[in-house]
Amino acid sequence: MSDELVIARGVRKGYGAGERRVEVLRGLDLAVERGEMLAVVGPSGVGKSTLLHLIGLLDRPDAGELLVFGSDTSRLSVEERARWRNRRIGFVFQFHALLPEFTLEENVAMPLLIAGEPRRTALAAAAELIASVGLDHRRGHFPDELSGGEQQRGAVARALVASPELLLADEPTGNLDAANAEILFGAFEELHLSRGLTSVIVTHNEALASRCGRTLRLSGADVEVACSRT
Amino acid sequence: MGRGVSVLGFLAGRYLLGLGRRTHVAAVSAISFGAMALGAAALVLTLALLEGFQATIRAQLAEAGVHAELRPRAGRVLPGGDWIAQLRARHPELEVRASSGGAVWCLGGDGAVPAELEAVDTMSRVEVNRVLAARLGIGAGSELTIASPKLVLTPLGPMPMRRRVVVDAVSPMRPDDDRAVVLVPTRIGAALLDLGAPRTVALRAKDPAQAWRVASVVQAEIPKGVEVVSFAELNRPLLAALTLERVMIGFGVALVMAVAALNLLCNLALLAAEKRADVALLTAIGLPASRVRRLFILLGLGVGALGGVLGTLLGGAGAWILDRTHALPLPRGVFIVSHVPFRVTPGAVALVLGVSIAAALLASLAPARAASRRDVLEGLRYE
Ligand SMILES: Nc1ncnc2c1ncn2[C@@H]1O[C@H](COP(=O)(O)OP(=O)(O)O)[C@@H](O)[C@H]1O
Ligand SMILES: [Mg+2]
Repeated sequence: MSDELVIARGVRKGYGAGERRVEVLRGLDLAVERGEMLAVVGPSGVGKSTLLHLIGLLDRPDAGELLVFGSDTSRLSVEERARWRNRRIGFVFQFHALLPEFTLEENVAMPLLIAGEPRRTALAAAAELIASVGLDHRRGHFPDELSGGEQQRGAVARALVASPELLLADEPTGNLDAANAEILFGAFEELHLSRGLTSVIVTHNEALASRCGRTLRLSGADVEVACSRT
Repeated sequence: MGRGVSVLGFLAGRYLLGLGRRTHVAAVSAISFGAMALGAAALVLTLALLEGFQATIRAQLAEAGVHAELRPRAGRVLPGGDWIAQLRARHPELEVRASSGGAVWCLGGDGAVPAELEAVDTMSRVEVNRVLAARLGIGAGSELTIASPKLVLTPLGPMPMRRRVVVDAVSPMRPDDDRAVVLVPTRIGAALLDLGAPRTVALRAKDPAQAWRVASVVQAEIPKGVEVVSFAELNRPLLAALTLERVMIGFGVALVMAVAALNLLCNLALLAAEKRADVALLTAIGLPASRVRRLFILLGLGVGALGGVLGTLLGGAGAWILDRTHALPLPRGVFIVSHVPFRVTPGAVALVLGVSIAAALLASLAPARAASRRDVLEGLRYE
């Protein structure tokens, strides 16, 4: 496979203005190929989340070119960005995995409900994904009745319920113990293969990163290099 | 679009009802809901109370007074012809009272005052209006001497023609009139003055409930030179005062709604802050900002408008029960009714519903806007 789902060329991103200005990404070049599983590692504050938010169409680069699904993201309208986040990109966040007022099943169905799917089909699709992350018996439970690991697996199910091509996860195992991290990562690997996903996973865990096809090591240097592992 | 709304309804419903989950939102919105309901109930009750009293006043006015008056458009007398007789024949449901007259002096009680004599064709007794009764200090049963400017020759020389009568009643007619008036049968009037054509015709429906319609009923059947003064026009000052009272008191009580709406605004702002992470997550998974705004407007309407509807129903039911059970008695003799009257009108209900929905909507706009403009990443980044 040679086509690239994400291409970044000289992407710059910083925050704040004047004296308090922080340059986070200073000319990043990156290409993520369809079907690959990319790990992003680096010290805290180096810009891993920032990169994921740019790819996930939650933020815009200050300069440089960012193509997602072959489209120049600077040309996308606000509505298109929302629609792509809803249908083409699945996102797993470090915090705030699930909405506390809704059951696991409803949480997982939420992207489809937002897309306007009828309640019944959305819940059926949710049930299927919940089963695939091994939480079948927890469908009707509220998030505060689930463990941290179960909540994150629920978040993975939600990220995938609308059958996106691209899965982005921001330190999904960050708050989990080793055993739960292992279970969650196992689910990622399995779903990545079975659903033909392209995945970008930010992690602190070198052991898990080493199981990905490739690792992008952010160091805060001026130009970031994606180093291949395989 | 329609499908888009359904997920908003799902989200808003869950946030409001909480479904047995211990949500802070549900408790806070219950308070706002109660405040809006109270405001609406207070407004409905007040309007019903005002309408109850005012309806009694209007009914009393129709009971006592003239329902329409026919006056010459120009000059002092009405055009001639038999149109008055025709009017009488065609409308058996109306009392048609033609009067003519002129200036006289009235002597009796405390002295002599100038007065207006009205000779009324349908009258068989003598009445004075309240002004004359007060000025002379007389009442029913008093003797009264009416002196006309017509002179008669007496052994003492020319003297004003006089007539001694007994007052049968004090007429309640036209309470706002400041002229002194004595009403006499045509027979007596003709003896005192040279009566020409009638100067006015007073109309009264035998059924007082028809008072408001009398002017329009006869409008088409009278000659050109005659002006119809309707019941509303005859009582304009009083009716205007009643309307003003209703508007001012309604406005004052509507301030309760304004306070309730401000409470709603605060709670929605609180809700928006508390749900910041939820909103960020929903936005991240594809809910556009425009629909976030609509979600919060829906929440505001869910709390405010439903509270308003419930309050309207409760207030209306309360007013109805208070009226039916005569729960609030009035001291006898102070007012013409024995209990505090309440009357709920469709107009008042529509007004209160409209005010509560508008207040809820207005209160939602700012928090909804703020919620939809908040930075998504801020909401996602921190725990
Ligand atoms: N909204 C913001 N305003 C100012 N600085 C920010 C903002 N968001 C992130 N930063 C800064 O940008 C840097 C990179 O943040 P982030 O991408 O979250 O790092 P990582 O995920 O690698 O820990 C940090 O120094 C952080 O403080
Ligand atoms: Mg981060």
